[in-house]
Amino acid sequence: MIKPIYIHGSGCISIQPTFEAGYFFDALTSYAQNPVPALDPDYKAFIPALQLRRMNKSMRMALFASRLAMQEAGITAVDAVITGSGLGCLRDSERFVEHLRAEEGSSLNPTPFIQSTHNMAAAALALSLGCKGYNMTYVNNANSFESALLDSLIYLAEHPTETVLLGGVDELGERTPQFWDIAGYLKHEGAEIPTPLDDRTPGEIAAEGAIFFIASQQQSYQTLGKVLAVETRLEVDNPPAFIAEFLQRNGVSTDALDAVMLGCNGDARYDGIYRTLGDTLFADLPQVAFKHALGEYDTVVAAALFLVLGIFQHQHIPQTLLLNEVSSRTLQRILIYTQRRGQNHSVILVEK
Amino acid sequence: MSELTQELKAKIITQLNLEDLTVDDLDDHTPLFGDGLGLDSIDALELIVMLDKSYGIKLSDPKEGRKVFETVQTMADFIEANRK
Amino acid sequence: MIPTAPIAITGMGAISAIGNHVTENFRSLVASKHGIGPITQLDTYHRGRLLVGEIPIGNAELYDRLHLSPEVACTRSTLLALLAAKEAMEAAAFQPGDGYRTGLISATTVGGMDATEQYYDDYLISEKHQPFIQTHPCGYAAEQMGRYLGISDFVTTISTACSSAANAIMLGARMIRAGLLDRVLVGGTDCLSRFTINGFNSLMIYTDSHCRPFDENRNGLNLGEAAAYLVLEAAEVAKRRGKSPIAYLTGYGNANDAFHQTASSDNGEGAYLAMRKALETARLNPTDIDYVNAHGTATPNNDLAEGNALLRIYGSASALPAFSSTKAFTGHTLAAAGAIEAVFSLLALQHQVVFPNLNFSQPIASLGIIPQTELREKKIAHVLSNSFGFGGNCSTLLFSKDHD
Repeated sequence: MIKPIYIHGSGCISIQPTFEAGYFFDALTSYAQNPVPALDPDYKAFIPALQLRRMNKSMRMALFASRLAMQEAGITAVDAVITGSGLGCLRDSERFVEHLRAEEGSSLNPTPFIQSTHNMAAAALALSLGCKGYNMTYVNNANSFESALLDSLIYLAEHPTETVLLGGVDELGERTPQFWDIAGYLKHEGAEIPTPLDDRTPGEIAAEGAIFFIASQQQSYQTLGKVLAVETRLEVDNPPAFIAEFLQRNGVSTDALDAVMLGCNGDARYDGIYRTLGDTLFADLPQVAFKHALGEYDTVVAAALFLVLGIFQHQHIPQTLLLNEVSSRTLQRILIYTQRRGQNHSVILVEK
Repeated sequence: MSELTQELKAKIITQLNLEDLTVDDLDDHTPLFGDGLGLDSIDALELIVMLDKSYGIKLSDPKEGRKVFETVQTMADFIEANRK
Repeated sequence: MIPTAPIAITGMGAISAIGNHVTENFRSLVASKHGIGPITQLDTYHRGRLLVGEIPIGNAELYDRLHLSPEVACTRSTLLALLAAKEAMEAAAFQPGDGYRTGLISATTVGGMDATEQYYDDYLISEKHQPFIQTHPCGYAAEQMGRYLGISDFVTTISTACSSAANAIMLGARMIRAGLLDRVLVGGTDCLSRFTINGFNSLMIYTDSHCRPFDENRNGLNLGEAAAYLVLEAAEVAKRRGKSPIAYLTGYGNANDAFHQTASSDNGEGAYLAMRKALETARLNPTDIDYVNAHGTATPNNDLAEGNALLRIYGSASALPAFSSTKAFTGHTLAAAGAIEAVFSLLALQHQVVFPNLNFSQPIASLGIIPQTELREKKIAHVLSNSFGFGGNCSTLLFSKDHD
């Protein structure tokens, strides 16, 4: 009952200059730090100062990326806004906790509390676009964007004449990355972008970004690609079987794929699965990485979709992202597979 | 411009993140809400916090704020009348 | 278009300030026995000042009831959720892995913030509480729940402020109708926290006493904590396994006020649109509704906006069906509100009663609408339940005794 959805526009803010017109990963900005904040575009180009002043980074990035997507799709309004975010507006959450711990009992500034609400990016989009339609936010760790994507598939099957603004956004905190460090998530040795994907050192590079798309069930000459299916599973005993079954359910064999996007991020403890897949199921396919260039955060998989659409458009996989020597003549059908810290597996099938 | 209105303008700009404005841009009598500066109910709450933290004046009813925060001048007058 | 197969509710579970399970909640509702009182468990400046709907069970005891090892880091919201979810699953009498695709869609706004706010500095200097670091994200609770309850086909979390659980319930129904799941455990949970108590207080919408929904002199809400879950199943599936439904979820709608970050538009546009959508999906007229369980937080803004929205739907105060807010019983339970009030709406359907709106004496002057203030026996076929959140997120659910 779910049909594919067509993507007509996309916008991406990340630690690479992905919001710059014409940029497609021919060169990567390098970093030797962890965490890595996203590059800021000129937000004022799209957001009036009176609104911008109160917007945290999540809201600004989401708004800007959305405007880029809408510009590309040639539209000025949408019918629904569906977003995913692993941690919501993290910095304002931290600020309010810090205020209340320091000053509970005296007057507390309400702004960080309001802004900490997890659906504030989606709310800012609704306000800015005057969109009174369906508005949803998934906060589901590293499957947040995939839930938003699935909802978009369902929503557009229910409302086939409508248009959805779909996206993922996550921002860095200040105290929280210290907690991540304590919990053993972060990379120390080899903490670089591009991250060496050589299975030597543990840990992730924590980053941030916002990636938004315009989707509908109407195909047009402007369509960048279509998403056929998405599936998530918290824990998977046998990832190759999980992926093979997904492909089978969607009537596609690995032969029919032209490339695969893999969510390897340089964390030697968990990247092994990608190596196994690369040596077996996907041995004959061009294998493309994205987290070594964009860092790791719950919704970075949305950037993989952004990249796939770019690959369709350019009919070319940037050297900076290609993991193996296999090339493909045409690039029409690409699978995205990712997981994070051994959990939150997801597969997304995309076609030109 | 009195010292208090100067001070108030600087505080308003910082507290409400009005980064593009300078103290000279803010007129004593421009309406702060509605058609003037265009502030909203969250800004009103922030100004209530400022009134408490900087001048020791507590407003317990947010509706009271409407009259007090009409302009920089009305704020200054209120503070002069009520500060500790 | 997606086919509109009937969605049966085959189980429910709830824990709140007025009861540790569904029956206890019901008994309190009919006895007008509210659960609003002083803060006794949280270490906060506001203890002795603000009143809350607290669940009188400490975390240690919650661990015991769930047979959880003290080594497992589990936040209060998740502990409450597990109790309510277990009750719902037992009532629905199914085992995950019985061949039917079963999902879990949960909702929370606090997530693990109750731990984070407590251990914020401690994490940096001592190992003792560090296992709680991973519990902070909203998505963690559902993952923990899925593991504990054995549900793995599909797990996700929604967080849209006070409409969260209503949205979770709605997504569950939509996934069943889209043919993606046969059965889904849906609902929400939020525990009390210094974060939310101070947050609502900083917005100057926390009352200094007991909240007075829809009253002219209302001056804010009380917060509460709760968890509630429903089991939704394709009606066909329930029939096949011989499970008789409690009722049906026949309508739902979500809309955005798109007016302001926190305040609702005076004319309640988002609320109006959400209620309209719920009626449309159920293919019912406003006059078919016998009871509205309102959002009714008792903030000056919400009750005015919601009241106006109701008047826009019904045309006049006299045309309104019986309506009440139950938040004077439980407090505003944030992400759990949509679910605990769904349970109350289902109890209203089961027992054919309208629950009272406590602490009411004078109607809002500009609206002239009067809620049901006494428990009332009434023939009820359809109930509307509203949940409106920050960010203009407005959701309405429609429950019916039968489906068409």
